[in-house]
Amino acid sequence: MKFIKWLTISALVVLIAGVAVSQQKNQKRKGRAVLSVPKVAKKDLICFALYTVHDNILKLTAQLYPLAAGDSRIVRLEIKKEGEWVEVARTKAIEPGWTAPFRVEKWNDSKAHEYRVIHEAGATYTGTIRKNPVDKGEVVVAAFTGNSIHPAHGGDISRKDIIENVKRIDADVLFFAGDQVYDHFKHYAGWLKFGRDFGEIIKDRPTLCLPDDHDAGQPNLWGESGKVSTLGGASDGGYARPGVYVQEVERAQTSHFPDPVDPHKIGQGIGVWFTNLNWGNVDFAILEDRKFKTGPAGRVPKQGPRPDHIRNPEYDPASVDVDGAILLGQRQLKFLDRWSQDWTNTEMKVALSATIFCGGAHIHGGANGRLHADMDSNGWPQSGRSRALSALRKGFAFHCAGDQHLATIFHHGLENHRDAIWSFCVPSIANLYLRWWEPLKPGANRETGAPDYTGDHLDGFANKVTNYAAANPEKKPAGKLLNTRSAGFGVVRLNTKKREITMECWPRNVDITDPATKQYAGWPRTISQFDNYDPPSWGKLGEMTFDVENPVVQLIDDLSGEILYTVRAHGKTFNPGAPKGRSFTVKAGKNEPSTVILEKAEVGAGSRAIRLK
Amino acid sequence: MKPLKANSHLVLLLRVGAFLCLAGWTWVHFYWEGPYGVLLWQESSQALAERVGIDWDEFVGTGANDGLVQRLIGFTSWFYLGATILTVTVRKKSYLQMMGLLGGGALLGILAYARFVGAQSQIPMLVEHGGQVLAPVLLVLALHMGARHRVTIAAAMVAMMMTFIGHGCYALNLWPMPATFQAMTTEILGVEHETATSLLWWAGILDFVVCVGIFLKVSRRSCALYAAIWGLLTAIARPVAGMSLSLNYWGADQFIHEAVLRAPHYVIPLYLFLVWRRSDELETVAGDSKTEIGPDGCQTAGPGKITRSPID
Repeated sequence: MKFIKWLTISALVVLIAGVAVSQQKNQKRKGRAVLSVPKVAKKDLICFALYTVHDNILKLTAQLYPLAAGDSRIVRLEIKKEGEWVEVARTKAIEPGWTAPFRVEKWNDSKAHEYRVIHEAGATYTGTIRKNPVDKGEVVVAAFTGNSIHPAHGGDISRKDIIENVKRIDADVLFFAGDQVYDHFKHYAGWLKFGRDFGEIIKDRPTLCLPDDHDAGQPNLWGESGKVSTLGGASDGGYARPGVYVQEVERAQTSHFPDPVDPHKIGQGIGVWFTNLNWGNVDFAILEDRKFKTGPAGRVPKQGPRPDHIRNPEYDPASVDVDGAILLGQRQLKFLDRWSQDWTNTEMKVALSATIFCGGAHIHGGANGRLHADMDSNGWPQSGRSRALSALRKGFAFHCAGDQHLATIFHHGLENHRDAIWSFCVPSIANLYLRWWEPLKPGANRETGAPDYTGDHLDGFANKVTNYAAANPEKKPAGKLLNTRSAGFGVVRLNTKKREITMECWPRNVDITDPATKQYAGWPRTISQFDNYDPPSWGKLGEMTFDVENPVVQLIDDLSGEILYTVRAHGKTFNPGAPKGRSFTVKAGKNEPSTVILEKAEVGAGSRAIRLK
Repeated sequence: MKPLKANSHLVLLLRVGAFLCLAGWTWVHFYWEGPYGVLLWQESSQALAERVGIDWDEFVGTGANDGLVQRLIGFTSWFYLGATILTVTVRKKSYLQMMGLLGGGALLGILAYARFVGAQSQIPMLVEHGGQVLAPVLLVLALHMGARHRVTIAAAMVAMMMTFIGHGCYALNLWPMPATFQAMTTEILGVEHETATSLLWWAGILDFVVCVGIFLKVSRRSCALYAAIWGLLTAIARPVAGMSLSLNYWGADQFIHEAVLRAPHYVIPLYLFLVWRRSDELETVAGDSKTEIGPDGCQTAGPGKITRSPID
């Protein structure tokens, strides 16, 4: 029997060894990328650098490869002044993650500066801090999401086309809406790869990367203010990975953001980074639509095969809009309230977040997985969506986001269709998971010749949405090709002179400056800034002619005392829109609405001249 | 000594283990959904469907209605329910029912494979399901060959080892540790990340230690007992960490089945502990009355010789 014992023990050893060997083979399997941290020469220790400039404060984060035990942790930032390199800041690289965040106050953003990051081991990384494009007249945002690197769906295809196109259009801001890293365990390695892929364009322009669910190491994210998630799929709310891991992710991706407006930490010591960036007279609200959001598991009645999925089309949408369910949370709503009223050095407002404020897809997955509603989207909770959109439309904010793996344009509705803001969900860089916008019934009030899927719809949560475009992928699984899976990127042109917003949606591996290159069907589309709060039911208060250019105008509801909206008028004349049958107090000012210019104003009042000087 | 009664208790134990495992998965299939999407909704299954003349929409549904895939997954629930009932009704000579139970084991095998594919083909995911997959098989073996038969015991040892090797590989971070391991440890014990990681590392070491320890006579009972306790704790960790008074049904529908379907993780080691306890007792008695005990714990000669379980 001894023989049997030893035979069994040997079998055990062979089993373990076999497992290890076969796993190694698996890692080389076609379809999945293997992430690792490469060893680099000392001169290449600095992988890339990201920065923003806001309110005369430069924040720059240098991302380093691992330093050796004997290497200094000190990293220096220098800028070129009159031909000489001058040190403006030094910092210590933070472990884990090897990030070196710099903060420089009294930054002169009226001109460009060459910069270099230096580590004494001999590494130098150079780039340009741009001049604030306040006089450019158009701020160009290149927007991305879903940076899968897996070969199975083209993730291994070079990003060179994106780099070249961003250079061609000379984008002023880069916006990565989320899922920069898909690996749930090796964010550092993934982030370095992201830097190697995009560093060439990131180093020379303000860049905003919003860490989304996959960046944080989980398939979906309902952050619930830092709770610990213990349910597979994380729909019980909270973070699946340890707080220190999430902190490292956020340090890498967001430590160069303008200072958070409300920096109190949440559970597990996780920080917050929601804030705003004013660049080129466009005020970007950077939102955390995942961090405070309630997880649906156990909170809403079960409606499908997963706690966060609703399959039953007959369900009562009101039943899932449960008391206490949070979307943005009070802290962000307060911020948005202040932000929408503040038009200092601002001509247009844009909100950036991970995902859009509606259920923006019907079919999920590789084939025909029709879902009535997905609570991962910001269509849920409906009350939270209403509060978010109400806050955003008060500043006529345009919304740009990602996450859906499906490019769409929606005009959102609250009380009625098309009475809130517009959103542009940009396509994935490489599309890991396919989705389609494919309503069962044709939309109402479609534009002439527009596809059936456009027009007025209710999403799966009975939210009012109006679709104008959807870059649906091919119907059947489409193999490795990027564009049959509707991969690509978005460009948003914010014309501060005309106050127009143009959305462009480009496929991969094309030259977007070539006139022959076509965008995905439905793009480009240009809207007015004022379309972001122009309900069809409204009338006009009457044209006001000011004695100053572009005054800030605010309407306050006389009955409720609530601000209806605040906006910077375009030019000297402004004809404010307003609901019929209600009266408003109108305030205005050169840079803030400090003077009451009209009381008890109602729709249909005549034109008038206003003196503000 | 009451060997007959003891054997019936052993079978009952394995019956309970198989029942809970299959009942838990039945709940998952009926209330939630089996994890087969990753196997069925892919290009190769599309090609296969088209090769046998099934239209793609017919295969996956039009969106407004269910296709073959959804119906197949729906049918699977009933097979699970049938296998669960069989764990209660199966008797020593119910060969047809035994075949059905083995079919239940095969279903669990397919499920384990689907979970393996869903986990990006991590081998420990496949291995750790061994205990569950073998739970109905063990019941059949115990009924057919006897609860103390060396084949039954060997199969139980393999089942236990698979569970603990799978867990151990994750706990030692040989493969990326599932986030829930650390989250549950943090949540239940209220410890920081570093402490949780350290605790799990030691638990991983012990996972491997017990897998070796069950081959050594001196340690096999204590190892099996530890494995039973640890298996129970890890199974109930899900509801303990996740349930809350603030949730609908206190979150029971989200978490309870996670503990129930993991019953083999503690039932099989407990079975081994009891088998070996009896065997060692018998050996002690044999020392007094010259009863001969085989190395696997089976009595091979002597006054009360047990050649196979008289009643199961």
